[in-house]
Amino acid sequence: MSNKMEEGQLTPPPPQPSSVSVSKRCKKCSVQEATLDSRGAPVCRGCFVKFINTKCVKQVAILGKETSRLITPRDGGVRRYLVGLSMGGVSSTVLVQLLNENVEFQLAKGRNAPFELVFVYVDPHTSLTLQPSSELSSVVGGSIKVEERLRGFRERYPRSEFKRVPLAAALRLRTVDWSSLIPPAGANGGSGGTDEEKKLQQVFDNLPSATSRTDMIRLLTRHVLLNEAREEGCQALLLGSTTTALAELTLAETAKGRGFSLPWLINDGSFPITHHQDPIADTTADAPPTPPTPDGTTADNTTTDAPTTAPNGTTTNITTNSPTVTEDGKGVGGETSSTSMLVYHPLRDLLRKELVTYASLVSPPLTDLLLSDFSSLQSGGAVVSHKNLSIEEVMFRYFEEVEQNYPSVVANVARTTGKLLRLEEDAEKNGRCGVCSMPLDELGDERWRGEIGDPVGDEGGGGGGGGGKGRLCYGCERSIHG
Amino acid sequence: MAPILCTNCKTERALIKRPKNHKKLCRSCFLTVFEDEVHHTITSSGLFYPGEKVAIGASGGKDSTVLASVLKTLNERHNYGLDLVLLSIDEGIKGYRDDSLETVKRNAVQYDMPLKVVGYDELYGWTMDQVVETIGKKGNCTYCGVFRRQALDRGAKMLGIKHVVTGHNADDVAETILMNLLRGDLARLSRSTSIVTGDSRSEVKRSKPLKYSYEKEIVLYAHHKKLDYFSTECIYSPEAFRGSARSLIKNLEKVRPSAILDIVRSGEDMARLVPVENSSSCACKGTGRSATPVAGDDENIGGCGSQNGRSSGGEMAAMEQELKDNEAHKELEIDVANTMPATKAELKEKLLELPIRSGPRNSKAVSRQVLGTCERCGYMSSQAICQACMLLEGLNKNRPQIQI
Repeated sequence: MSNKMEEGQLTPPPPQPSSVSVSKRCKKCSVQEATLDSRGAPVCRGCFVKFINTKCVKQVAILGKETSRLITPRDGGVRRYLVGLSMGGVSSTVLVQLLNENVEFQLAKGRNAPFELVFVYVDPHTSLTLQPSSELSSVVGGSIKVEERLRGFRERYPRSEFKRVPLAAALRLRTVDWSSLIPPAGANGGSGGTDEEKKLQQVFDNLPSATSRTDMIRLLTRHVLLNEAREEGCQALLLGSTTTALAELTLAETAKGRGFSLPWLINDGSFPITHHQDPIADTTADAPPTPPTPDGTTADNTTTDAPTTAPNGTTTNITTNSPTVTEDGKGVGGETSSTSMLVYHPLRDLLRKELVTYASLVSPPLTDLLLSDFSSLQSGGAVVSHKNLSIEEVMFRYFEEVEQNYPSVVANVARTTGKLLRLEEDAEKNGRCGVCSMPLDELGDERWRGEIGDPVGDEGGGGGGGGGKGRLCYGCERSIHG
Repeated sequence: MAPILCTNCKTERALIKRPKNHKKLCRSCFLTVFEDEVHHTITSSGLFYPGEKVAIGASGGKDSTVLASVLKTLNERHNYGLDLVLLSIDEGIKGYRDDSLETVKRNAVQYDMPLKVVGYDELYGWTMDQVVETIGKKGNCTYCGVFRRQALDRGAKMLGIKHVVTGHNADDVAETILMNLLRGDLARLSRSTSIVTGDSRSEVKRSKPLKYSYEKEIVLYAHHKKLDYFSTECIYSPEAFRGSARSLIKNLEKVRPSAILDIVRSGEDMARLVPVENSSSCACKGTGRSATPVAGDDENIGGCGSQNGRSSGGEMAAMEQELKDNEAHKELEIDVANTMPATKAELKEKLLELPIRSGPRNSKAVSRQVLGTCERCGYMSSQAICQACMLLEGLNKNRPQIQI
């Protein structure tokens, strides 16, 4: 493994709860035999599963209260959630299971389904040939497998919709200021269709490092998911991030100079969506508003259903500025081009390792839906070169180890970061970043350049400082121009 | 193949690839650029005023030696008008400190600066060797760190100096930021990023002019300037522990060299996001934009210079246990949790309605330190009895009877 292990920094591991002896009773129900360890307590299988379930249900209940004001009789009083799906990852797969269980539970009691679910996998691989080994390119392995997996999900959870959207769909969004990502002069010709795929590849080719590419995939994926949530008439976007993932995100974003964005990324709540007017978006917006189906990537019934299932009146046209479901009138003082969407993390109180255990306990186990080597692909093997490694991967490895010995420390990171305040006034004063939608901090950027003695244009080569007109935050500037 | 030329002067051969941004520079350009950047930090933060008497906390290690050298150079080049003094602490560690003190003594001659050495024995009645004899090797860095911090202040006071500069570099600051995130300590996170610590009420202020300098560049600077420094690590600090945050930062730096500075930037930005209890008690007014001094980031930021900001595995394990206990207690209040969603939503609504646009808006504020003085030694402290006196009390209780 990486040298951090050799350095043995986490010297004495705490007294690990001794492997549960066979004769022990479950500490929770005191009836069953304890076969598992749940945060230091010996528990039985049933109580473990219930524990995981409760943690998730609790968060979903909070979301239910939050969305109650957004539900009108026009919607038929039914909540609709869009859930981000990472193909093969344990967290989002478990989330699929838990949310569906919740629905089935309510239906079995003779009540209405508490919500409708749309799961969306944003696929970066239809268009991108990513650098070998480093990014998750090898994880999913080809579009055929993705379709196979989606079929697996649909068979198991027939009540939910499962969609696949190519990452290139982001190019059609006005929520990204593309002028800062695509050099205006270099825009070679046409728009729409498979040219989009090429264009996206071009965007990624221009990025300076593996970290930047991973960073950009994450940002664009979020844009696509937020847009899908809007188009699907959903009241919230749910992400499967565990407490471990949130801790990773906290430190990774800090290491990428995005510390200021943490209150929006870690906390649950409304996430800002900004609409940009720029020529490139205008040309690309000529493409049909409904996602086309190039080489059948989204060729499943859900795509054709999508526009019709979108509840009445909810606009599906991305170019419109009219407020949608969750316009946050208070937060963004009357700015017509800004809306927001609720983003929630129902698994925020659970550790990744707990979900791994859970996935094997439900019947039938979720193992078929999981990519068995998903995590090992990210963490396994010695680091040959750090050059192709991303900051996210470094954090993944780091927290894998910390989670093992110090789970509460991991949980505490996300909890603490959640206390940071959202400085909306910065957005009112300076506007928002064209790529990540976070408030800009012009004064801070200027002071920073002064303090580190970085003369303007010091970056010299590459991106050509100040090339794009779009204004970027410190983190996006770093990611795009290095 | 033609030699690669320095990207700065375009005449000399490039010898150094800057760790900060991988620019290729010649020796003299590197030294100049490094000095210029420190100068920039000093002027933009307004660290000094002309005629100020400044003590350089000198350990003989690379950071403080480079700091002394750069400050001397800049003081002469830019006419800061500073009166520079070397201030050294003798912890009383045989085989470590006596050698490094020799280095400091040579530095004093080389830089033509007066030197003051303050010993733990004269300040506290204990040398570090005696402390280790009593409490063992584990956790002694806490003692050393607490004692040293006061020692620097007390030494400065003896010399009638109100400003101590230390050799903390960007790596140290980044490490402290990650460590405080891991610890979940927002109060300290917001304090640790400030370039100046110790507010107007305290007698001695601290600053870190090398806050934006990479450790690797400090080593390069010392090497190419042929500085005389002492490179052995403290013999008590190794205890195999290198610091969770430390090794993480090293890995991050390998992946993206700018990561260290990016973490510092993140830390400074996050300091503004930390909810404040009441702004009146906070000298920095919650903005953190200027170099207004904030209350010192005192307790527990580790021991000696090489150990600063690191937390031992033991500490991490202890915290794990504490958090686990808290969680267990919380589980017992499961009924209360049922009402939680309601309160949470209500709370959120309330927060939205608050018209305040800057400053405190969260009821769950993080308390800032209120500085007072220690009842025993009269030294500045946020507690009734300062940490040094607390530790001394424990030590004196356990003092072996043999020492008559």
